Amino acid sequence: MFFVLWDNDHLAMQVDVMMRRLRLLIIIPALLLAGAAPIAQAQDASTSAEYLVKAGFIYNFANLVQWPSTAFSQSDSPIVIAILGEDHFGTTLDRVLQDKKVNGRPFVVKRLKSVAELLKSVAELKDCQILFVSSSEMPHLSEAMQIVKGIPILTIGETPGFANRGGIINLVLEDNKVRFEVNVDAAKQADLNISSRLLALARIVQQGPADGRKTQ
Amino acid sequence: MSTIHHQNVPTISPARRGLLLAALAVLFLASGSAQNLPDVTAMSVEDLMNVQVTSVSKRTQKLADAAAAIYVISQDDIRRSGANSIPEALRLVPGIQVARIDENKWAISSRGFNGRFANKLLVLIDGRSVYTPLFSGVYWNDQDVMMEDVDRIEVIRGPGATLWGANAVNGVINIITKSSKSTQSALLTAGGGTEMRGFSNLRYGGKVGNDTYFRTYAKYFNVEPSWDPFLGQKANDDWDSLQGGFRADWTPSGPDSLTFQGDLHRSPYGETLTVPSLNAPYSNTYANEGRISGGNLLGRWNHTFDKSSTSLQVYFDRTNIVENTLFTDHQNIFDIDFQHTFHASDSQEFIWGLGYRSIRDSNDSSFVVSLQPDRNTLNQFSAFAQDEISLLDKRVQVTLGSKLEHNDFTGFEVEPNARVLLNITHNQSIWTAVSRAVRTPALTEEGLQLNSVVIPPGGPGNPTPLPAMVSVFGSNQFKSEDMLAYEVGYRMQVTSNLSADIATFYNNYTHLRSAEPGTPFVEVDPTPVHLIVPLTADNKMSGGTYGTELYADWRALPKWKLSGSYSYLKMNIRKNADSLDPTADDPGLSSPHNQFYVRSSLDVFKHLEHDLIVRYVDQLPGLNVPSYYSVDTHFSYRVPAGIEFSVGSENLLNRRHLEFAPDFINTSPTEVRRTIYGSITWRPEK
Repeated sequence: MFFVLWDNDHLAMQVDVMMRRLRLLIIIPALLLAGAAPIAQAQDASTSAEYLVKAGFIYNFANLVQWPSTAFSQSDSPIVIAILGEDHFGTTLDRVLQDKKVNGRPFVVKRLKSVAELLKSVAELKDCQILFVSSSEMPHLSEAMQIVKGIPILTIGETPGFANRGGIINLVLEDNKVRFEVNVDAAKQADLNISSRLLALARIVQQGPADGRKTQ
Repeated sequence: MSTIHHQNVPTISPARRGLLLAALAVLFLASGSAQNLPDVTAMSVEDLMNVQVTSVSKRTQKLADAAAAIYVISQDDIRRSGANSIPEALRLVPGIQVARIDENKWAISSRGFNGRFANKLLVLIDGRSVYTPLFSGVYWNDQDVMMEDVDRIEVIRGPGATLWGANAVNGVINIITKSSKSTQSALLTAGGGTEMRGFSNLRYGGKVGNDTYFRTYAKYFNVEPSWDPFLGQKANDDWDSLQGGFRADWTPSGPDSLTFQGDLHRSPYGETLTVPSLNAPYSNTYANEGRISGGNLLGRWNHTFDKSSTSLQVYFDRTNIVENTLFTDHQNIFDIDFQHTFHASDSQEFIWGLGYRSIRDSNDSSFVVSLQPDRNTLNQFSAFAQDEISLLDKRVQVTLGSKLEHNDFTGFEVEPNARVLLNITHNQSIWTAVSRAVRTPALTEEGLQLNSVVIPPGGPGNPTPLPAMVSVFGSNQFKSEDMLAYEVGYRMQVTSNLSADIATFYNNYTHLRSAEPGTPFVEVDPTPVHLIVPLTADNKMSGGTYGTELYADWRALPKWKLSGSYSYLKMNIRKNADSLDPTADDPGLSSPHNQFYVRSSLDVFKHLEHDLIVRYVDQLPGLNVPSYYSVDTHFSYRVPAGIEFSVGSENLLNRRHLEFAPDFINTSPTEVRRTIYGSITWRPEK
């Protein structure tokens, strides 16, 4: 079965119980932050409606997804968003999120050119909460998913099949509107709690057999 | 099943949402990066989900970055223009020449060589070629889709032979319908007007199981005959059409997806036909009835691997052309195509494919048109490979590729291209391309005998006592027409609300079709005894064409968009020194030098949209068609409960004008009238 009919309240409760249980089991990854994040090269791309709307979605996701406390080093640590691959946002995302806060946390946007760079900065991923995977990196998606495995990081994609292949949220264009898919299992594995309000609007997808993994 | 629970979700008030949406519209006008963006963080997920973003699908985005002259007509463009047919929609494309010959015949071409039997433009509907092997052109009155279900029409001006194969010489038109997942609602349209007496479109979409979507549709229209300016009376070009079909998409979460679709159609039409006769008065003019019918079935399987994807497409297409007293033809086409795309490295995307097409034709000849053999099977094999290489941090994109084809007429054909795109700055790019394309012979060019005119005995041009019949013959010596194209283009996003696109080309043609006179001979059957003056197909014309196409798009106000296009075309096509073709007309005289349009799209107020388009098409001296302006206007008004009213008028300024004249088959051209139409569309809310 591909889609699952969710009962919101029931689901929220289920996820909550699961999260609490998981939290106890989580071993804090012994990854230390090393070096400063590569400063985003402010690319001056012209604003596109699509990416402005996607930026709006990212802000909303930051609001409606709950990270485990281990995901942040301090209570006012920023929410770090890394854009992996070709950056179509230009400066849009930086400008949209400028001076914005979610639960007292400001935003930091950085850019990673390739999966190779992602691998190099794996130590910094502990302090990264959102990874936006550009469609340019889809050929290397499996590697990228392997790198972030077990880290409480919200992976957001924009290519068909992203959520089926282990990504958590996939933004898809349908009739010129932005819709999104959520892979609930992937969210659970990353120890993220997605609000039922968001799930209610999402198309729920499960891991595809492409990954060679069986799901419930 | 995906469910959307609206009830538990807090939403912002409609008023505030309106403000935000307006702000969002303003943003698209806000130029440069220094200005403030609307606060999308104040919008809810629901609101964001309702914002139309201008960019279309990934594939189209990719095409927009392509080193080619490309234009995409969106569903919104079609709806707002009121276009009710594919030819009407194509009038929105910069540089494409669309001319109506009569109510059910069109001449459509890109970069010159227009005619009812124009043969240098490839047209595909959902990946199915609708190019007839009879004359290498398109029966436009046979090509229809539910306009509401069209996702987009992609038009490439210039050669696309490397990817699409022979006959994609001067352009490629890709009509792409929506996935049935996007047409889940029911839809009912009914309307009528002074040209189209009545039309009705009906669609129903649904879902089977968890991941199979489908839609079925049926449409009917009835077109009133127009005006015959030569006979000064009502013409005989009435036309009606009944078509139905379905599409099913299976999109499970895995790496596979399947599409299955098909259509059935039948459209009777009328025309005023003039045919030669061996007896005085040596020609007959009468009202002729024809009928085109057919159907097709297509299946496509896409599979995604980790780093690559494949697509396998198979279709079957049947077309029956019954032109009473003139020609009857039945065609069965079977086509299979395989394509594989993969990333050879970080910077290289490689695509290759194989294809096979079988064409079975059977026909019945008449005195005027005969085609030999009357049963024929053609086989075409093709293979292509193309590599897209990104260099210098993706600032430069180089595309190299070629197609290799084998056909039964001319054997192997090679169609390579080389394209380079350079992103000069983030908002400017320049591209250039060199490509070779061929137009392979059509069935008629090999086996046709078309008796076009009889010159009376003893009259001017015929001193003999026998009637002399000029007949056009095909030839098994006929070769492919060749073209070498050089193109340069420039695109600029001047500000976020103003963009411009310029494409220029020089095409060099060799082996273009000519009609070489042979020695007249006496024929006793059919009686009376007559002379045949033969003109035989040969390849003795050549020359160059050049031109430019400009397009600009300006969102002057949040609710007002202006777009415009200008195109210039110059053709220097002449017969070769060794050609004796007495009919060799300059094709430059039947293609407009200058064309332009200006289009305004205004959201008058919420739910009321107004579109106005002013078009100019230059004179066609070779066809005695004067230049004309046409002003078309369209209003649409949406009311609650999913109802939309649409009212429009075409050709508001002139009462009547002629757009083209027929070639080869002498049907009377008719004038385009001023028309008024209206319709109601109902999309029941689920």
